[in-house]
Amino acid sequence: MRTDLILKYLGYVFLLNAVFLLISAGVSLYNTEESALPLLFCGIICLVFGVFPMIFVDSREAATHIEGLVIVVSGWLLTCIIGMLPYLMWGGEFTVINAWFESVSGFTTTGSSILTDVEKLPAGILFWRSSTHWIGGVGVIIFVLFVLPRGRKTRHTLVHTEISDLAMTDFQYRAKKVIRILVGVYAGLTILEIVSLKLCGMSMFDAVNHSFATIATGGFSTKNLSIAHFNSLSVEVVIIIFMVVSGLHFGLIFGTIAGKRENLFRSPVVRAFLLVMIIGIVLASLKLYYNGDYGIADSFRYASFQVVSVATTTGFATVDTAAWPAFVQLLLIYFTIQCAMVGSTSGGLKFDRIFIFFKSAAKQLRMVRHPNAVFALKVGHKSISESLERQTMIFIVLYIVILFSTTIILSFMDVDVTTAFSASITTIGNVGPGFGEVSSMGNFSSIPDLGKLFLTLNMLLGRLEIFNIIALIFMRRDV
Amino acid sequence: MKIRLKILLGFLLLASLLMAAGAYSIYEFVKVSRSVNSLIDDNYKTIEASRTMLEALEREDSGILLLILGEWGVGHKIISSADSSFLGAKHIAENNLTEEGEDLLVAHIGHYYTIYKNKWQHPNGSSLRQGNIVWYLSDVHQNFLAVKKAVNDLMELNQTSMHTEAKGLSDRSKRAIMPGIVAIIAALIFSFILNFFISSYLIRPIRGLSKALKSYFPGSRDFDAGIKTKDEFKQLETRIQEMISRMESKANKG
Repeated sequence: MRTDLILKYLGYVFLLNAVFLLISAGVSLYNTEESALPLLFCGIICLVFGVFPMIFVDSREAATHIEGLVIVVSGWLLTCIIGMLPYLMWGGEFTVINAWFESVSGFTTTGSSILTDVEKLPAGILFWRSSTHWIGGVGVIIFVLFVLPRGRKTRHTLVHTEISDLAMTDFQYRAKKVIRILVGVYAGLTILEIVSLKLCGMSMFDAVNHSFATIATGGFSTKNLSIAHFNSLSVEVVIIIFMVVSGLHFGLIFGTIAGKRENLFRSPVVRAFLLVMIIGIVLASLKLYYNGDYGIADSFRYASFQVVSVATTTGFATVDTAAWPAFVQLLLIYFTIQCAMVGSTSGGLKFDRIFIFFKSAAKQLRMVRHPNAVFALKVGHKSISESLERQTMIFIVLYIVILFSTTIILSFMDVDVTTAFSASITTIGNVGPGFGEVSSMGNFSSIPDLGKLFLTLNMLLGRLEIFNIIALIFMRRDV
Repeated sequence: MKIRLKILLGFLLLASLLMAAGAYSIYEFVKVSRSVNSLIDDNYKTIEASRTMLEALEREDSGILLLILGEWGVGHKIISSADSSFLGAKHIAENNLTEEGEDLLVAHIGHYYTIYKNKWQHPNGSSLRQGNIVWYLSDVHQNFLAVKKAVNDLMELNQTSMHTEAKGLSDRSKRAIMPGIVAIIAALIFSFILNFFISSYLIRPIRGLSKALKSYFPGSRDFDAGIKTKDEFKQLETRIQEMISRMESKANKG
């Protein structure tokens, strides 16, 4: 393994963060805030560490698969460490653990927070907080590769490490084009949402921050009450639309815009994803209405926002769901498990895997009836290979094992069962809010420090698709 | 890029990192020091002045009671000394208006004190009020309480502000320490990486050259130290290759 080559790519990660840190410092300076200096200092550190490897390493050789794995995983860890620096420098509620939690939650687009009063933070830090979502949404390495002009082989290796095999089935292009599509759709949607929110009467600052958080399916808000603060139907509608779009496969969004054969309308997974979400909204609305919580219009309004917010793993809130009936809470827990589609900015289990799981279960049932027959697993007109099917099943099992392990660990630390389970499920799914003490209007400040560390591990596992981290941990045995 | 330039740039980056951290730390410490000064100047002075005013008011109140009891000499002496100390403290408060709404509170003190002073200044020369406790309770004491409340309000405003400032000071001192800590950690990591690069791009080529020279013997394959960089080591490898070929051609001719 060539350490210098890995360091060179990690340098690019530093430079990417430096750009956003310097923009955040600019936001602070514009608002004449004290946070300008911490942000500027962190930006300088990143700049120095980013430029340093470029001076020494002039190797243009391609990265191997193992090197690619190390670059991707350590790139994510590094960016999370960089992300915590401005919080640490600022102080206030940010202890070392809290800063790490907020940073990992930002970059993995989880959106869980330890802050009890978000509005106390200066604009520069709030912008940096939203930027972590935006950088992490499309993927740190994808951003780096978008800027890098050369290195076809390395680009191919890194793209296939960062994006899951399942997501790549809908990207029938070369790595360079995949990166362009991802970043293009991502930036385009962000600009479109900023304009839409501005037209709804939001301030430019709030519009940018909330757009970063929506398109990245993150969930960090600049307000303590999240989207409830604005109490605006038009704002909610705009955010719902963009949450849904961000939860779809970006390759299919591009296909739809470009008039390709692979598009949103032809994908059975998209149809199923939207159908399940609509069923969820209808059931939640009916239950809230018949329970007497709200009138029919408000029931539909709140239910649709919360279901879409959780189902796309965004995590914005317009109401405290902890006070909702148990049936609706269970429904939301289901959506927390399900997550959005592969190829989107969301993390966690992903709806496509559940779709394949049910298809595979149906195939197994058919095989029981016809033991000698050969059945192919198909999603639309595409065949899913045996290895991809097996990989999906193992992923689901590992996901459940990790989920329950974290719940048990948190319970051991005297966290109540509801909070422990929902905190575990919401962090591994990169959703954000849960129930109990970590509900949509609550925060994670009450979780013990060690518990917070386990939850950040969950977030990283959910974001990096488990296999990458496990492969890296056991890498020495393979090499 | 030449090795000398690479190392120079590496150290320049390290130096710029440390300089940025140093400058930032100094700036934060200067701000902490300014905060301490403002804590003393802005609030503590007024709090002390308020305390003096309250003490003077209590003394004036005792003096008035002595007047009512007919102790003219002692009462008058106490009142005039308390009055001058009250006015002195009020002057300090008037010249130290640093908080929002402080000017209004100081004006209130002046207003109520004038009314209060009028109450005890005029009956001073007559014996009409002697033993008149009803007059004291219904008229003088009420005004005394009004002045006292105004002074207390001023003190509370400054105490609250001082508390907020002190809390901010704790955050600021942490902020002043953080750049130092981050810079130390960053410099350590930077040194390790620099050491790694020096080892990779300086020591490894030297070893490669040494190994290649040791294993080389006339007539064997081309001299190759396996240097891939485009720096002085590559030049050295090329020079050695040229030297060997010159020596070999000379030996062949001989």
